[in-house]
Formats: sequence, structure tokens, C-alpha cells
Amino acid sequence: MKLAFFQGCNIPIRIEQYAVSATAVLRTFGIELETIDDFTCCGYPVRNVDETAYLAPSVRNIALAEKRGIDIMTICNCCFGSLQKARHAMAGDPHLGETVNELLAKDSLTYHGTGSVKHLLTVLHDEVGTPAIAAKLSHRYTELKVAVLHGCHLLRPREVTRFDDSFVPRITGELVQLTGAANLDWPGALECCGAALAGINEDLSRSLLLEKVQGARVAGAEFIVPVCAYCYLQLDSVQATEKGDPLPVLLYPQLLGLCLGLSPEVLGIGLNSSIADHHISLLESRLGPPTTEKKSRKKARATAAA
Amino acid sequence: MDMLLIIAFLIFLAGLGWRLFTWFGKGFNGHDTAVSTGRRIGSALTAVGATISSGRLLKLVRSLFVDVLFQRRLLAKNSWRWAAHGLLFIGFIGLLLMHGLGYSVSTFFFSNYESTLQPFLGLREFFGVLVVIGVGLAIYRRLTDRPKRVRSYASDWLALSLVGGIIITGFLFQSSQIASHAEFQEMVDEWAGLDPDDPESVALETYWAAEQGLVSARVTKPFDPALVEEGAAVSENYCTECHAPASGAPVSFTLAKLVGPIAAALGDGPATSLLGTLHLLFCFSLLAWLPFSKMFHVIAAPVSLLINGVAGFKNPAPDAATTLNRQMIGLSACTHCGACSERCSSLTFYESFANDFILPSEKVQYLQRIASGKNLDHDTTKRLQKGLYICTSCDRCSEVCPSGINLRELFTHARYYLLSKNVPETSILSHFSFPLSLLRTFGTQHLHALKTIEQKFKTAFAKLSELGSITMNAPAEVGANNYLACYSCQRCTNICPVVRGYDNPQETLDLLPHQIIFSLGIGNKDLAMGARMLWSCSTCYLCQEHCPNNVALTDIFYHLKNGALDKLEAGGTA
Repeated sequence: MKLAFFQGCNIPIRIEQYAVSATAVLRTFGIELETIDDFTCCGYPVRNVDETAYLAPSVRNIALAEKRGIDIMTICNCCFGSLQKARHAMAGDPHLGETVNELLAKDSLTYHGTGSVKHLLTVLHDEVGTPAIAAKLSHRYTELKVAVLHGCHLLRPREVTRFDDSFVPRITGELVQLTGAANLDWPGALECCGAALAGINEDLSRSLLLEKVQGARVAGAEFIVPVCAYCYLQLDSVQATEKGDPLPVLLYPQLLGLCLGLSPEVLGIGLNSSIADHHISLLESRLGPPTTEKKSRKKARATAAA
Repeated sequence: MDMLLIIAFLIFLAGLGWRLFTWFGKGFNGHDTAVSTGRRIGSALTAVGATISSGRLLKLVRSLFVDVLFQRRLLAKNSWRWAAHGLLFIGFIGLLLMHGLGYSVSTFFFSNYESTLQPFLGLREFFGVLVVIGVGLAIYRRLTDRPKRVRSYASDWLALSLVGGIIITGFLFQSSQIASHAEFQEMVDEWAGLDPDDPESVALETYWAAEQGLVSARVTKPFDPALVEEGAAVSENYCTECHAPASGAPVSFTLAKLVGPIAAALGDGPATSLLGTLHLLFCFSLLAWLPFSKMFHVIAAPVSLLINGVAGFKNPAPDAATTLNRQMIGLSACTHCGACSERCSSLTFYESFANDFILPSEKVQYLQRIASGKNLDHDTTKRLQKGLYICTSCDRCSEVCPSGINLRELFTHARYYLLSKNVPETSILSHFSFPLSLLRTFGTQHLHALKTIEQKFKTAFAKLSELGSITMNAPAEVGANNYLACYSCQRCTNICPVVRGYDNPQETLDLLPHQIIFSLGIGNKDLAMGARMLWSCSTCYLCQEHCPNNVALTDIFYHLKNGALDKLEAGGTA
């Protein structure tokens, strides 16, 4: 299987390890990612300014992938949300289609609406499938409490993103449990990291971020796992400017990658600025055999919940 | 001619001086603190000294070969362009050193150097052909494969014309020399000392006319083979020592067959000297124009590449002085090749906003002009500022720039430099501000620019408290919407993580989410557009997701934000 890897603007320069670890994990399952140089920004940053200018780039990016006959995969929620919004809008608004296709004609592109947009987590959960992942595991965490921060534009609005149940998402939970780690139920899991307000209302942006960090800490999280690139940057870079030790941030392909026998170096875990060497040692020390007795798993969950 | 050369050289020197002055005297400083020229020169000298005296010298040499001479970055970008540049570079430098500066450089290495001897005669042709192919490729690219949306300016064509002109006039000059009878006569007189009527002279002329492209009125076809043979012997005797056969310059030799008769008809003496003069004029023009044009990249690009090669392409400058120096060196190293715009993440935004300045290559052209002292009018400032702001800070432009310009740093500084002029920039209220906020370098300047916009909001939109009475009108239009289904259950406000964060939210946010919908319901869109709630909305979509009547609150908020900024851009009257 081959997918067009849509990395967006932040990942290649600020979170290269997200792309690298996702690529390494998917390669384990025979999924090949193709980078398309002509991809541009998804449009998200301009949404406050002009809705059509926001939609046009995503339509163009989908058209680029359609031309190559492959589907798009993203790892950034805001890119995912924008691409899905573009598909949704193009399906419902013929006037928009006219405007945008006229613009695309300059690059000899046409949007047909045949290509689909996937998220890394959907690719793992639906295309690869949890049983296939489980079969490839070389390790599972014997004990590890993680708080997943879903990010908003992955889940909502549900009729646009079509990712999962936006109130009770299952995909993330199942993927985390696969690794043996406990997926904490915590109040901030479905809420905002504050990134959308950064540079517009700094204080509010920061307080939303700190509320998430605090929430995850109170729930007993050892690591926080953001799905979105923006959430990651808020947690990993902005949190670093706060006093005290940061709550370490791990990306899902890094969490899963260790269980697939990939090394922390390959997964770029050390590149996360909130991660110190002792965090990596801790993660490695918690790696156990790939299959666990039902009993002990229950026990692990009970400890996690405590 | 010597006088012209001196004038051209003086202009070149003056231009060079002016460039150095801008390198260390101008720049876009996004910070408030001024940096003196003295400090900037000092910091440049320190950096050079530190490089030479440290182990980084090796890096410098490596960068010289890999980045400057081999043009690794260009190769990675486009092999055709790399080939065109390589041909131009090798050909032009070869000609400059071997031919242009022949009697100082070539004689230094080869004591027997004569421009009329092999291998120099042939090499000159070879280098010339390289340049012609390079120019041809460059013209072809500009016409067909040119980066989409990047404009070609008159200066881009002038650069190609001058370089091409030098070589073409060079070839024509050479071919008319080959064919010229006057030239032949002069040389025979000077080197062989033969009288024109001497039988040896006739034989020599027959040989050169038959075999070496000379156009002669006296000896014409059919040539007497015996005379040709005799002439060859005479040539061997008098000429060969310092004049290789003209056929050793195949391009000019072939051209001579075409040019010769025309020149002869026009009078070959004057024609030859005219072509020679033209050739020199082209050379002098390029020399004089070089420091004032993009051709200055021949000096600035190697400097820029070496600095980045040693200091690291991604590392930020250590201090303000170095930042400004690198900025100006970078600006002067731009060749307007358009590689940056081709890879620009904001490419589609350029289409939507129809603003040239969104493309990095076009921003650079204008920033160059400002740096060289051009004043900015209000409209251009606004457009340039918007162009600088509609940027995702993805760094792809810096990564692909063949001249190694740190465009991201340049643009960030230029952005805050312009914002400091207090022209409000509405795009600051977009997520383009996110990476800037992440940088944390321009906190004060950013807040200041936000305040300017806030002030504009205050004058453009009335607050609820400022309205004497509230009138009820027909519900406002907010695109395709369904907000009329709202029955004021306030679920949106109750679920909102922003509202939750304030003790007295209304004081900070003006209107709460359900109140915004209510304002729309009574037809007061302006009240909704002016509410600070919109710019405090984290766009988390919780309200929209939780609304029992499926009111698309967040989407409506986006619509209102777009409308509010449009109104501000239109001067608050739309």
C-alpha cells in the first residue's frame, strides 16, 4: 500500500521525528509513504482571514494526490481537518468548486473528489488493523500510564472529519492499549491545547495549555501523547518555557515503535525537548514480553486506574 | 577604450563600495535596539578571524568546494538549472581568467601564452561555446520552464543579454578578424615584413584565403594548388610560431565564412574594429552594472554560501549585528531564480490574495530596493506587510535557496520592522502568528502590533455598553447557516473552555457564544463581529458539537472573523 504523506508546514522543520517515526512504524507493516514536493500548506493558518483562501490549498493538495492516484495520509490534525473540510465543502458547494477549479487549472490540476484523506491513526487502526499490529509486537509495556490529547480538529466537527465517535473515541484507546500502556481517562483528553490562540491571545493560549498539562498530571500520567502537531508544539516547546520539569511528551508512533522493536534513536525520541535520557531508560525498562497473561493485564489496568 | 575601461572599473568600484556600505550599514532590524555600522564591521571581522584561526577552516574549504564551486544545493533542486549554471560559470570564469585577464593570469602560468596559439585559441572557443549553451538553457528555462507565477523583470533579461552579448560579439569579432584582409595585411607587414607585391606575399595570401578563411579580393577561387602549397611553406616560416591555423577556432572559423563576405562588403577594417569595440563595450557594461544588479551574486552568493557553510544553514545568527550583516549579504546574493517561490507553502494563498509579495522571490526584490534606500508608500507597505505575514514559516524557501540565503530569518525581521511602522496588519489575527509566537523572539513587537489592531477594532465596532438602545431587525446573514434553530439553552457557553477560564467572562469577552448567536438573531451582526469572544475562540468546536440544534457556532465564528477583518481592511466602512 502506498500513501501520499502530507506533512504540512510544521512537521518537516519542527517535528521531523513525528514523520520519521511514523514512516518507520508504517514500513514495518509494508506501507510506503510518498512525499510530494508540490504539496503546499493545508490552508489552516489563514482560516480566520478568508474562508475561500483557507479551502483552496487543501483542494489543490487533494487534486495533486488524485493525479498520482494515491490517497493522502496526514499526521497533523489541523491538516487533516482542513483537508476533510475541503472535501466536505467541495461536495456541498458547487460555486466553490467552480472558483477553485479555475484556480487549479493554472497548474493543470482538477479536483475530482475521488481521493480520500486518512490520518495515521486510521491507517493503523483500519488499514493495518489491531490484530496485525498485535502480531508484530516484540514487546509490550508492563506498566505505563499515558494521557492521550486527541486535539480538536481530528474529532470535530464529526460530520466533516469522520474520524471516530467525537464524544467517546475508540481508535486512540484501542491503539494505546495494544502497546500494553494504560490509556488514562482524563478531563482534558478531548479539549483544546490553546495553539489556535498563540500569537493572538497569548495568555489564554498558555492557560489552556497549562490546564491540559495539569489535568494529565493529576490523572497520574507519566507521559502525555498528543496526536496533533500543534498540540505537540504547545506541549513540547511552550511547556519548556515554564518553570520546573515538564511533563514528558511522546508521539504515538514513538510509543508503538518501541514495542515493534524499533530503537529510540530511529524513532527520534531524544529529539522531543521534554524527553531526557532517564525518560527513555524508563520506557525501555517497562518493556516486557509481547503477550501478557490476561490476569496480569487486568492487574496492570487496576494499578493504572488507582 | 582604455578610458572607458577605467570609467567602467571606477563605477564598479563605487558600486562595490556602496554594496559594502549596505552590507554593514543597512538592514531590517525587527528589534528596537540600533546596531552601529562599527559594531557590525567588528562582528564580521571577528567572525572571519574566528573561522580562520579555528578548526572551522576545514569546513570553509569544504564549503568552498561543495557549496560554492560544485553548487550542491542547486543540483539537489534541479539538474537542468545546475547544468546551465555550471556551463555559464565554467565558461565565463575560464574566459575571464584565460582571455580577459590573459596577459596577467595566463602569462603567469604559461610563459609562452599568446591568444593566437593553441591550446588557448581552441580553449577560448570551447569556453565561449559553454557560455552560449548556458545562456541558451537559461533563456529556454525563462520562456518555458520558468517557475510558475515568478515574474521576469527587465533586469533578468538584461543580465542574460549582457553575458550572451559578450560572447556573441566575441565570436563575431574573432570571425571577422579571421576573414579580414586589412587585418591580414597588417600582420604580414608587421611579422613577415613582406611587401604586398612580393611573390611570397601572394603565395601566403593564397594559402590563407584557401585554407584559413581569409576573404581576399586579390586572390580568388579557383586557387592554384601549387601556390597554396608554397604559401603554406611561407606561413610555416613567418606565422606559425605565434599564430596557429585559424581552423583551430572552429566556431569562429565557420562563422567567418558567413561574416567575412558581409564585413568585406562593408569594409572589413572598420567592421572588425566595430565588432571589437562592441565586444569591449559589452564587457565594460557588465563590469559597471555588476554591483548594482543581481549579477552581484557572483560575489555575494559565495560569501553567503560560505557563511552558512561554516556557521550552519539552520543555526540562527549569534547576535544582532551578525543577523543584520547576513541579512544584507543574503539580499545581495539573490539571483531571482524563483526556486523559493516554486516551493513556497503559501503558493495557493498567492492565488487567492493576488499579492505578489506572498512569493518569497518577489518579497526579496522589493526588500532589496528598500534596503538600497527606496522609500515606501503606504499602499506598498500594506501589501508588502501582508505578503510578509501570509507565510507559514515552514522554512522551505531557506532550504532550497541556491544562494544559501536565510530567508526565514530575513522575512521575520522584515515583518516586525514593517509592523513597527504602526500600519495595522489584520493577518496578525491568524494562525500565521503561531510559529512567531513559538519563536518568542519578538514578544514585545508582536504585542505592540496586536494593540494597533485592537485599537482599530475599538473604532470600527461599537460595544454593547456603548449602544444606547438595542433595536430588533431581521436576522443577520452569515452564509449558509442554521442558527435560527437556537433556543438559547446556553449549552455552547456552558461547554466553552474559554468562558470557563474567566471569573467574569463577559468583561473580557464582550459577548458569550450564545449571546453572539442572539445578536445575529436580532440582526446586529456588527455587535457580534466586534466581540472579543471571536478572537478568544480556541476553535475547538466543542460548542458546535454539543449544540442540541446543530447550530454551526464555530463555523459562524469563522465567518464573522472573516467579515470583521474585511471591514477593517476596507477602512471600517464595509
